[in-house]
Amino acid sequence: MDEMARVPGATFLQGSPSWVLDWLVSEGQSFPREWFVDETPQIQVRLAAFLIDRYPVTVAQFRDFVAATGYLTDAERSGFGVVYGPRFWEERRDASWRCPTGAGSSPGGEDHPVVHISWQDADAYARWAGKRLPTEAEWELAARGVDYRIWPWGNDWNAKFANTAELHAGPLADRDSWWRWWQAECSARGGQPLTMPVGSFGDNASPYGCYDMAGSVYEWVSTPSFLYDDASECDPAMRMTVGHYRGLRGGSWMNFRYQVRCSERMYGDPAGWSNFAVGFRCARDS
Amino acid sequence: MVVVVVSRAWAQHGRTTFETDAGRLPDVLRQLADAEPEYRRRLLNSDGEPYGYLSIFVDAESVPRNSRAEIEVADGSTVTIVPPLVGG
Repeated sequence: MDEMARVPGATFLQGSPSWVLDWLVSEGQSFPREWFVDETPQIQVRLAAFLIDRYPVTVAQFRDFVAATGYLTDAERSGFGVVYGPRFWEERRDASWRCPTGAGSSPGGEDHPVVHISWQDADAYARWAGKRLPTEAEWELAARGVDYRIWPWGNDWNAKFANTAELHAGPLADRDSWWRWWQAECSARGGQPLTMPVGSFGDNASPYGCYDMAGSVYEWVSTPSFLYDDASECDPAMRMTVGHYRGLRGGSWMNFRYQVRCSERMYGDPAGWSNFAVGFRCARDS
Repeated sequence: MVVVVVSRAWAQHGRTTFETDAGRLPDVLRQLADAEPEYRRRLLNSDGEPYGYLSIFVDAESVPRNSRAEIEVADGSTVTIVPPLVGG
């Protein structure tokens, strides 16, 4: 699994063209246009060639790191991990990468992406492995190539190409339908993270041969939160994260199709926070 | 009066700003939860304590988690509540 793809140096337009925001509104999904304004306007970025992991870091790979270093994750040190329970996000005692929903639970498998990984945890692993976290621009280029595309495989959604909530639940029209699905999951299976072995979807390769860049786990990037245009009228809470949070890309198994787009931007608190859907992959200079 | 700002992702009926009385930061959050019960599950755990994983800014200054219990929020201040995962 320790395989990296080479992404040639390129100049490309990072972010989403405005027609994507029009399309998002026309789809009738749950969020207003303003919610996606941070993806625009596109900015021209020039990148040198780099290497990036074809897959998210797995439980087995992280276990090797811990065995070699004795590293304790932020969740292990704090004594709890953040889990989406039947009510909302909650601080679950003893939840960590070893026990994703608390004591007595276990990861779905050694070849699943590791979760409950804070930004510092991801950075520590990457340094140990002689790698680094990708920048936000590198991540997006690796996911979609120079030419814009909504998902790594193209512009046509296929729920069978990625591990998202829509794979497990079928089409989800809104947050209420998601909520009903998750309540049922909690009742039936205890609300375990629905990760799958990395590389389970042979059809979701990016133009450079990277997998699982749509869905699976949220992936940390090294870039601090910033806006492509400081004058953007974005969500005030989102604006407050500028310079404080770090980027998270790719969405996760919890999300709808709209949150797992290549240009979708999320931001996470790097001060020790993680949850049961957050993982990462690494990069390296070419 | 204190203005409390929440993310649009949390907004009920499009409303993102609220007013509370001045006071200790945890009490400001409890006031919001009492006045707007639909936010309770997002703000307070089952023991009625504010979730530690939330990021809190008072007048654009980030409030460290270990000092929140003692922070007094003065009249005229703005408290912004930011989930640890934003966007989407």
